[in-house]
Amino acid sequence: MPDESPLRIKTDPARFEVVKNALYSTAEEMKIIVAKTAYSPLLKVAGDYSCGVFDLAGGMVAQGPDLPIHLGSMPDAVRAVVKAFPDAAAGDVFIHNDPYNGGSHLPDVNVVTPAFLGSRLLGFCCVRAHWPDIGSASPGSYGAVTEIFGEGLQIPPIRLYRDGEIDRNVEALICANIRMPAERMGDLRAQVAANRRGAARLEALARKYGADTLLQIMQEVQDYSEAMMRLAFRKLPDGEASFTDTIDGDGILAPGANADETFIVKLTLVKRGDRITADFAGSDPQVAGPMNAPLTVTASGVYCALKMIADPKSLIPANSGCWRPIAIEAPTGSVVNAQSPAPVVYANHEMSARVADMIFAAMHKISPENVMAGSQGTSAIVTFGGVDYRTAERYVSYESTKGGFGARPAKDGINGLASTVANMMNTPIEMLEMSFPLRVEEYALIPDSGGAGTWRGGLGVKRTWRILGRDSNSASCCERSVTPPFGLAGGLPGSPTRLTLEQAGKPTERLPSKGGFVAPADARVVMEAPGSGGYGPPAGRSRERLRDDLIDGYVTPEGARRDYGVDPETL
Amino acid sequence: MAWRVGVDIGGTFTDVAMVEEATGRIGIAKVLTTPHDFSEAVIDGIRQGLAREKIAPADVSLLAHATTVVTNALLEHKGAKAGLVTTRGFRDVLELRRSSRSDLYDLFQDGPAILVPRRWRYEVTERIDAQGAVVTPLAESEIDGVIAAIRDAGLEAVAVSFLFSFLNDRHERIVGDRLRKALPQVKIFLSCEVLPEVREFERTSTTAVCAYVAPVLESYLGRLQKAVTELGLPKLYVMGSSGGVFDIAEGLRMPAMAVESGPAAGVIAAALVGRQLGLANVISFDMGGTTAKASLIAEGEVAVTAEYEVGGSGHVNRWQHGSGHPIRVPVIDLAEVSAGGGSIAWVDPGGALKVGPGSAGSAPGPAAYGRGGIAATVSDANVVLGYLNREALLGGDLKIDLAAAEAAIARSVGEPLGLSVPEAAARIIEIVDSNMAEALRIVSIERGHDPREFSLVAFGGAGPIHAASLAGELQIPEVVVPPAPGVFSALGLVATDLRRDYSRTLYADLGSVEPAVIAAAFDAMETEGRAMLTAANVAPGRRGLLRFADIRYRRQAYELTVPVADGPVTQETLKGLVAAFHDKHRQTYGHASNKDAVQLVNLRLTAVGRIPGVTLAQRANGTAAGRTGPRDIWFAGEGFVRTPVHWRPGLSAGTVIDGPAVIEAVDSTTLLPPGWQAAIDAQGYIRMKRR
Repeated sequence: MPDESPLRIKTDPARFEVVKNALYSTAEEMKIIVAKTAYSPLLKVAGDYSCGVFDLAGGMVAQGPDLPIHLGSMPDAVRAVVKAFPDAAAGDVFIHNDPYNGGSHLPDVNVVTPAFLGSRLLGFCCVRAHWPDIGSASPGSYGAVTEIFGEGLQIPPIRLYRDGEIDRNVEALICANIRMPAERMGDLRAQVAANRRGAARLEALARKYGADTLLQIMQEVQDYSEAMMRLAFRKLPDGEASFTDTIDGDGILAPGANADETFIVKLTLVKRGDRITADFAGSDPQVAGPMNAPLTVTASGVYCALKMIADPKSLIPANSGCWRPIAIEAPTGSVVNAQSPAPVVYANHEMSARVADMIFAAMHKISPENVMAGSQGTSAIVTFGGVDYRTAERYVSYESTKGGFGARPAKDGINGLASTVANMMNTPIEMLEMSFPLRVEEYALIPDSGGAGTWRGGLGVKRTWRILGRDSNSASCCERSVTPPFGLAGGLPGSPTRLTLEQAGKPTERLPSKGGFVAPADARVVMEAPGSGGYGPPAGRSRERLRDDLIDGYVTPEGARRDYGVDPETL
Repeated sequence: MAWRVGVDIGGTFTDVAMVEEATGRIGIAKVLTTPHDFSEAVIDGIRQGLAREKIAPADVSLLAHATTVVTNALLEHKGAKAGLVTTRGFRDVLELRRSSRSDLYDLFQDGPAILVPRRWRYEVTERIDAQGAVVTPLAESEIDGVIAAIRDAGLEAVAVSFLFSFLNDRHERIVGDRLRKALPQVKIFLSCEVLPEVREFERTSTTAVCAYVAPVLESYLGRLQKAVTELGLPKLYVMGSSGGVFDIAEGLRMPAMAVESGPAAGVIAAALVGRQLGLANVISFDMGGTTAKASLIAEGEVAVTAEYEVGGSGHVNRWQHGSGHPIRVPVIDLAEVSAGGGSIAWVDPGGALKVGPGSAGSAPGPAAYGRGGIAATVSDANVVLGYLNREALLGGDLKIDLAAAEAAIARSVGEPLGLSVPEAAARIIEIVDSNMAEALRIVSIERGHDPREFSLVAFGGAGPIHAASLAGELQIPEVVVPPAPGVFSALGLVATDLRRDYSRTLYADLGSVEPAVIAAAFDAMETEGRAMLTAANVAPGRRGLLRFADIRYRRQAYELTVPVADGPVTQETLKGLVAAFHDKHRQTYGHASNKDAVQLVNLRLTAVGRIPGVTLAQRANGTAAGRTGPRDIWFAGEGFVRTPVHWRPGLSAGTVIDGPAVIEAVDSTTLLPPGWQAAIDAQGYIRMKRR
């Protein structure tokens, strides 16, 4: 079928494969260096960062085994540096976190290092890392504010190192604006070290194969992914489908309101031949609180879901070439194409995750085989901050609790596993408690939380923290507390998010899903992250699977009766 | 005369290697592996080997074995019915793992395998805090209920893992004692005994792996020990993942130590070669039918890692959480890639040529083997290019079908890419070489070692064909092909030391900690280590206790391991450790932060019982049998070149051969490309260098 095999690689196929692998292992090696040298638990054990190799124009050539959430925006983050510094030289390191210039939200700090062979610029290495704090009024920088100026320190693309030496003025300015600057500088050194290794590997490749060949292959790697994606799109049926979903709110109560107001995102997916368009016409205008997604954040959600749909066995290297056959249209000034100075911090993960889930829901109407039911659809963030009673030092803790991974045709969902745009790890309880004045009192699957279905949704997860010693200045950021993760093809939805505060002698208090709160010393904060939706009608579930679910306590006897219409005694 | 015997189980063959202690003379036996009961082939192979070399069982001084039983039980989910007891509220820690997925975009991925199903995970009320203090006392009244549940479920083994037991093990030990008393037939593993280290999931996983495989390992080793005793052979030793052997009793205390037993043996053999030839820096390279493995030996030290997942997919030991079961026991630091003689070449729809990860294995095998294989494999490419004999292999036992190899390559690679058959074959070799070079790169450059300072020791059936090309790729100056490369891992078994690794978590600021605290921790481990060596009858002069410290900047999560000098621990010792850590950090990552606090995390002790050295040798016997005439061999940039073929057993010491040339033997073929020169040394090693 020669007409289906667009052979676009001009480099010798063997050399192409060798150099492509070397580029991907470069990104992976950068990832390892950050994990092994960073200081904050969020980076060193939870892995909230991405590493990539970029071409001269900022196109992403290779991403490490990182976070899909950064797929859409990292190339733009590097492009911002390319544009601002046409004079980049060896020994330079650049830094920025501007969400309206390819960043994602202020805590995600991009460190970009150019790679050279002699005086010849080869490309860039970039590490985007989530700093646990970037200033603002709230430890963890997750407050519900109404302008980006309230979200923390904004860093436009600037030069951080020259001739391999850090600019002490820039360093001092950053340190003056963030909590725990010594820890942050440890993280920053890890980012710089990873880039240094990445740039050295690019230099070695250029020395070995020639800079021209390397640069050509850096383009061909993207062309190759584009060709493979087009081929995969062509295999899907053509069609058009819409899906509208409701967002919990933005964390800002309207005057006189006693609940956060919901708003909608609307998606129309059009699949024609080897192209797909995601059109968000009909979505609500940008909101007061930080649930506004710059277009690149929206794009990450679209890209991630379409990659999983078109390439379910994960054979196509993820890079900028993959996204060329995809068009995204979103009304300017809407929640999915927000304009400065709208605040953005929550939308980075909450909106991109929602957009990814919505792509699956819409695609289900076009091609029901290659989709998953709604996953947890929220990063379920809780931050704690204040002063550690044990050391009198400041601390900021940032955790994401993972719930269900959506059910698929012929496969159950997965319990407590990062889904779609997310892939952070949890923080080991023992490391958390040694680092912060917190005690985790439960970390457990929630029975009956997976949406019932022929294929059951993955279970949600409960994590309970007790605040030790002193009050904690806390914040939350969750979605799916109003509309739970959807089921597909007759499957039922998963359980919603629920966040509560428990204090001795007081009734349990429901906490807002977004914004700051004070957790008093000795109180318990309980996060219940959602289960995912089921696939296919519950009546279709095999007796054996349901019986095993009951024995293992994934489903309770009441749940079996209520959701599956089955008397457990008869199994 | 005293002989040492090593037995290594592979996918196709079970290899037996015998070494005469006084002379270094090597004997070999190869029998088909018996997957229904591996011990059958082991016994059969030993019998054949002893008969062939006319060795009386009483003359066997050491019997060591590399077992795949533990790895297979995990890969094939054939372990025991195992249970888990945890702190209340945390029975799902084993299932929740680290919450990340191993493949970002695989829509239909499975959740990770769960060693202990939820129905067999029990909770007990108790809690220790981050300072080791009891927050919630152990509810001893709940233990009887757990015992009843374990009995009712008919579990064969149980892991107990409580939060912070590495700081305070009292609750775990009380529960352990009660379970052991009430359930004497059930194997009980406590996380404070298996792995007293921070990180609850990894510690629980390691403990659960021990419980899951212990009954299988015990039954297998029990049968084997009985059979070897009946043969009149001595006590059986088992190769551990860290490259030392231990006896059966010790292995059953810590079954997770027996993963990667075979690959570890190969690395140990390569280390022996380094010692024997006076090469401090060696990269071991082992290429078999389906995978290739590389490991680095710097300054004579085998590299060992504590981060390992067993039973996972993808490259072993890469940064890939979530695909296997983490065990935090020392494992020889191997990089493994899917690249072997049976690896299949294919062209993807985008026009890129790939080799592997699919393998034709031993059945149907490469097309050239004439057993019905039609896929184009690396071995087919080697036949087409003349690297492998185009008529027969294994001393004539395996006939080669050249036409089938050519047809397979033309169909799968040549036609889709518009290349001639030799060109296509050359591309296949280029790709498989680059995949294997990646494994070599991981263990060297990525760890901060310059491959130009190393020698490559190449073995496994296919290793010596590809070694020179890989050495060229990484600018490694010398390739060593040892005796009997085809059964080399089995040789490693007889050359290793008795070894057991201990560790203690001890968080301390190295700037302020009292040296006595560290000394006390080492003393405790040394007492255990001495007891183990005494139990194994190791003579005092052959004992070694090696001390190490895992150190990091206080806010980091990963440590670098630094050796601790013998003798009393003083302030000077600690200063030296800090300096050594800064240096190692700079060497590994490119920077050091001399102002930041340096923290001790773990102390480690390795107890070693040194086994007297042997010298491996394969001297010429002057035979011309098996010698073939010259043949046309393809070399990059030159095309086919008429090339002489040498018969290895006929090459006497001092022989020097200029490439291009091929050196054949029954178990392996060595390729000497143009520009390389090979010298046969006094012990029969082939040493290849660029001219």
